[in-house]
Amino acid sequence: MTSEATPQQASNAESPLGLSSSDEILNRVGHVTRTLHDSLSGLGLDKILEQVAQDIPDARDRLAYVARMTEQAAERVLNATDVAIPLQEELAAGATALQQRWQDVMREPSLKSEYNLAANDTLAYLTMAGKNTAETKALLMDIMMAQDFQDLTGQVIKKITGLAQELEQQLVQLLIDFSPAIPKKDAEAAKADAGDNASLMNGPQIDPGAVDVVASQEQVDDLLDSLGF
Amino acid sequence: MANTNTKFLVVDDFSTMRRIVRNLLKELGYTNVDEAEDGVAALSKLKGGGFEFVVSDWNMPNMDGLTLLQNIRADAELSKLPVLMVTAEAKKENIIAAAQAGANGYVVKPFTAATLDEKLSKIFEKLEKAGA
Repeated sequence: MTSEATPQQASNAESPLGLSSSDEILNRVGHVTRTLHDSLSGLGLDKILEQVAQDIPDARDRLAYVARMTEQAAERVLNATDVAIPLQEELAAGATALQQRWQDVMREPSLKSEYNLAANDTLAYLTMAGKNTAETKALLMDIMMAQDFQDLTGQVIKKITGLAQELEQQLVQLLIDFSPAIPKKDAEAAKADAGDNASLMNGPQIDPGAVDVVASQEQVDDLLDSLGF
Repeated sequence: MANTNTKFLVVDDFSTMRRIVRNLLKELGYTNVDEAEDGVAALSKLKGGGFEFVVSDWNMPNMDGLTLLQNIRADAELSKLPVLMVTAEAKKENIIAAAQAGANGYVVKPFTAATLDEKLSKIFEKLEKAGA
């Protein structure tokens, strides 16, 4: 370090007024701050902040409502598929058993053609029943899988609710600090406790194109492969 | 093929996802499944003994899935337990952190039944090879 090392040295271009550019930046920031302060005071800054701080809990309640309703809907669907899947399995098992029995009976030749006809129709129906129940069950599994939206959207909502809460606390703190009329509350709660692993808990990625985000299971697998797993 | 009597613990704070994973496991033939809603509850169930496989979410209150995994690997009784992470966390650093902590597999949500089946089979295959 030389004795002459001052901040001005790093940016010593002289302005027409003879001020260094860093002095000018400070002047300008000061000016902008004054203007902002004046206009905000004119608008009633404390009133605006108060309004925002009041609106946030309302937004949070609405998000909580969305989370609650989607959870209830997902639960209803899962309850229905839980009941429907065994019913389909029962139908399928019955059809298979009857099919087997009719096939055994048909091995004995019969002279009654009507009887044979009815037996053939029954067999055809049983085959269809087996096929359709299998397809229905696959659809029911698909309906069940689709309920994973509740977990994913729920995580996003939780995340936003958390952000809103933080914002609210900061605004409340701002109000406490600058408008003594407002009762002190939540001052301690304002300190969010972020754990060591917090930066690794971002919830579902809503933009698969973002940097450092894997867009598919294949990319997860490729990354793990490259790590030797 | 793994023993269909393998005892699973499904860890997720969303009951919807626990039910989905439980149903998928049942469809794959694994009917011996228990659930836990966070890492703390999971660890206490695991310490009770008997579990042979853990399927865990990452982002959960009280104790997250990565911490749970680290606790499992640090516990003499549980350290060998296979752990499959099934999570919406999809950052590269997440996958690397999970791999370094000793996860046996990583499935990113939303996933399909086929993906879960494939990852489970792969883990069982590796375990059999290691055991043979």
